[in-house]
Amino acid sequence: MKTDRNAVEFRLSLALLALVALIPAAVSNPYWLGVIIVSMYFALLAAGWNLLAGYTGQFSMAPACFAMIGAYASGLLSYHWNVSPWIGLPAAIIVSAAIGMVLGRIVMRLRGPYLALTTLSFAEIMRLVIGNSYSFTRGDLGLNVPGLFDSRLVYYYVFVGVLVAVQTGLFLLLRTKAGLYLRAIRDDEIAAASRGVDVVFWKTAAFTMSTAMSGLAGALYGGFSQLVSPELGLIAQTGLVICMVVIGGIGSLIGPLLGAFLVYASSEALREVGGVQLIVFSFLVIVFARFYREGLWGLAKRAFMRKPA
Amino acid sequence: MLNVDLLINGLIIGLFYALMAVGLTLIFGILKVVNFAHGEFYMVGTYTYTLVALKLGVDPWLALPLAAGAGAIVGSLTERMLMRPLYSGYTSWGMLKDEYAVVVTFALSLLLVNLVDKVIGPYSQRGPALIDITRMSLGPIMLSGQKLIATAVAAATIVALALFIRYSFWGRQIQAVAQNRLGASLAGIDTAKASNIVFTLSGALAGLSGALLAPIINASPDVGSFPAIKSYVIVVLGGMGSIVGSIAASLTLGVLEGFGAVYISYDYRDTFGLVILMLVLLVRPQGLFGEKGRDV
Amino acid sequence: MKTRHRLKFLGAALIAAASFSAFAADPIKIGISITQSPPGSVVQGTQVKDAVEIVKDMVNKQGGVLGRQIELVYEDNQGIPEKGRAATEKLITVGKVVAVTGSHQSSVCLAEIEVAKRYNIPYVNTNCWADSVRLKGYPQVFNAPIYSTRVAESVVEALLKLGTKRAVMFCENTDYGIGAAKAIGEAIKAKAPGIDYKYETLDRAGKDFTPAILPLRANPPDVVLLAMLPPPAYIVMNQLYEQGVAPSAKTWLFDTAGLADYPDFWANVKEAGKYMLNFALYHPQMNLPKLATDIGQTYTQRTKNDPNRLIYQAADSLLFIIDAIKQAKSTDADAMIKAMAAMKFEGTRGTFTIAKDAGPKFQQMVDIPSVIYQITEVGQSTGKTLLIEGPGVPLSTAKLMKPAK
Repeated sequence: MKTDRNAVEFRLSLALLALVALIPAAVSNPYWLGVIIVSMYFALLAAGWNLLAGYTGQFSMAPACFAMIGAYASGLLSYHWNVSPWIGLPAAIIVSAAIGMVLGRIVMRLRGPYLALTTLSFAEIMRLVIGNSYSFTRGDLGLNVPGLFDSRLVYYYVFVGVLVAVQTGLFLLLRTKAGLYLRAIRDDEIAAASRGVDVVFWKTAAFTMSTAMSGLAGALYGGFSQLVSPELGLIAQTGLVICMVVIGGIGSLIGPLLGAFLVYASSEALREVGGVQLIVFSFLVIVFARFYREGLWGLAKRAFMRKPA
Repeated sequence: MLNVDLLINGLIIGLFYALMAVGLTLIFGILKVVNFAHGEFYMVGTYTYTLVALKLGVDPWLALPLAAGAGAIVGSLTERMLMRPLYSGYTSWGMLKDEYAVVVTFALSLLLVNLVDKVIGPYSQRGPALIDITRMSLGPIMLSGQKLIATAVAAATIVALALFIRYSFWGRQIQAVAQNRLGASLAGIDTAKASNIVFTLSGALAGLSGALLAPIINASPDVGSFPAIKSYVIVVLGGMGSIVGSIAASLTLGVLEGFGAVYISYDYRDTFGLVILMLVLLVRPQGLFGEKGRDV
Repeated sequence: MKTRHRLKFLGAALIAAASFSAFAADPIKIGISITQSPPGSVVQGTQVKDAVEIVKDMVNKQGGVLGRQIELVYEDNQGIPEKGRAATEKLITVGKVVAVTGSHQSSVCLAEIEVAKRYNIPYVNTNCWADSVRLKGYPQVFNAPIYSTRVAESVVEALLKLGTKRAVMFCENTDYGIGAAKAIGEAIKAKAPGIDYKYETLDRAGKDFTPAILPLRANPPDVVLLAMLPPPAYIVMNQLYEQGVAPSAKTWLFDTAGLADYPDFWANVKEAGKYMLNFALYHPQMNLPKLATDIGQTYTQRTKNDPNRLIYQAADSLLFIIDAIKQAKSTDADAMIKAMAAMKFEGTRGTFTIAKDAGPKFQQMVDIPSVIYQITEVGQSTGKTLLIEGPGVPLSTAKLMKPAK
């Protein structure tokens, strides 16, 4: 039964990504393509956070922080030592994963608000350190970094490709015993431990995978916007990611994608109307969290299920 | 001379931190959740005070209790509408109750900040001082009249709160619920009402501190993030749930930051508190003064 | 028969359409990237907007340029470099503007000029003082405001005249602030090596700067310099005053960022502003061309505020673009850039040419007049302040006042 659900979600997310891949056929304006690229950046962050929070139950407040770490890892390498972004990208993944692994081990015993507070402090510390190390990182002013590719379209498809790869990876992960362990940890950690699940290992693994994804997203985004700044790691950015996942449907494969595209693309559209996007979205998050945890995806499923067979 | 200055200024700032943080401590003690919208309760107080005094021409001394009242209302509403499900009634989050609190209060904080930004405007505004003396010397130090009054009010309020919790009827009810919710309700205590009182108090205190500091820390939509982060640090350091602990932690933090800024690094002074927070949580998750919880 | 009617109708319609389009020519769009929401300075953004609107109305009333009306397209950069980059890109690719101007924050400028360079669109810097914007040497970028090296020269001259031995500078942690602090350091090394100078970077999101100020109480310098923008600038001033550090009998307070120009200055600082020395770019006693007086009056009419340097800088930026279109007789980017580089520009602050020297003066309007004055009363309007240096007024510190304590 569970496998079926995951399969359905996986196929739908592939369909969604296919749709996104087709958009450039209709839209050629580089600004709007850029908007979708940023949505994909958020989708990647959302998917990573969903793995950690939705499937493993660890509510970390640091996804944006790790995107910032990844972006700076790649950015600093190229700014100071002229390292090509092609090397910078895997470096970003490794650095983020390594730091994420350490953080995961450190917060091993913490739950709920303790975990949230610790990861929040960590995120703030990192942001402040990067922001204040003016001589090394140019602080709040940001680093100008070279792009990986010249063409925006290429970036577009790279993002699509990465998202497809990530979704596939997540889907495969969930089908294995690992997926089962993670969800067991989420649902009842003590019970899972009593049944022999290596909680320490799997929690760390979840952290590592999630932060690796964030780091990758950050490095890709840095190359795209050619400007890396501590702004990437603001708690407000994490808030946006959380909003997206909760609205889309936490704990599902397609929820984060849905949430990211919907929230970001429409926030751009709403921007014209006049800055109400965050009001609307935070309100939606409250409503969904309070009354309907399964988010938009859950609502969609219910709608389908009501249809006569 | 410098050190005396730093010590006294550190204590003063610590007192302000205490006023901000003690409400959060109460919430944690009784509900075992951290309210991520705490900074916004503070912001509500700052704005109420500033706007009522500037736009409606109300005397600042009257605006103070109004600000506290506004904070109280927001606190009470938050508890009633968003927090109730945590302990009475249905929530689709099942075992992840703590995480629900995180998400919902976080979203609430975003909502409030952006509402204010949209409705009132993003400009920062300076709240009127209670006394127009912009500087006076008090022994070895110099400070503004506003700071002096704010310090006095803060100290008085905290003492009053501590006495309330310790000795009054509802204060003791709250202590009971904090120790063991189920047991308290079995003993006939209205736990929902106790929780509501705590949230209301927390909102009032945060609102009051926002108002007192409005002339020093001007009102702007994101003004809440600063007291919020300080409060989280203090609540954990002091032991989530211990009022005395929070006060001690606040004063320590204020002094530490002051000395650290001058002798270690000015740029990184905000990180000291956060680093300490992380270290404490890792070594002693119940904080310096807290009690180990008992999970069933 | 019907066909003939139809053809006639069609013919008439076509003629009507053709003549219609001759009247309703496309407007010329110019992009304005300003801050309309925090954390950037919304006060500055609003002033820029007010000024360019006045210029636009003025030019359109006179028939526009090349027979076309001017249309301004606005984007909000929030004072954040990343948003500035996105805003500029949107202006160019979606708004299809022929030039971009309006930016008033150096870090944002630095991000935006990259976009202007990439798309080869002329960019006129309205209020970014940082040398680094000019040092990049991009041919598309022209600079209307003063630059930090020039400010430093003027300030250090004044410091020398005051007999300064020790100076401390508080600057904000942005390209502008740090650039300004460093420029002063360089100028001191070159012209006044005897002065002991250090600078302290303050977080522009900070709320309490007492820890940075207290050490000065123990060991007061001769001058405290400021290179900060509101709102933190006001907090620093108030706290300097509260701790009795500056302005005091021992220490001058010298602002190098033109703080007193802001409409909300007095509402926020009160006594702390008295006795402050200001480096500024506008003083009513300066002799400005009639264009400036006209625009200034319209500004006061519309906003009930006195005009200041930002208004004139913004007006000059837009006028510069419009003049370039006139001279190039087209809105083609390369033609405009060529015209701009060669132009002798008559603006609101005087007549300027465009410097060609590589370095902090690259494509800078020269020479921007500047003044130094001292505020002598709380709530004083700029016109009543004590002018101690300006165009036609050689630097003299004889009349400066100091508080009793």
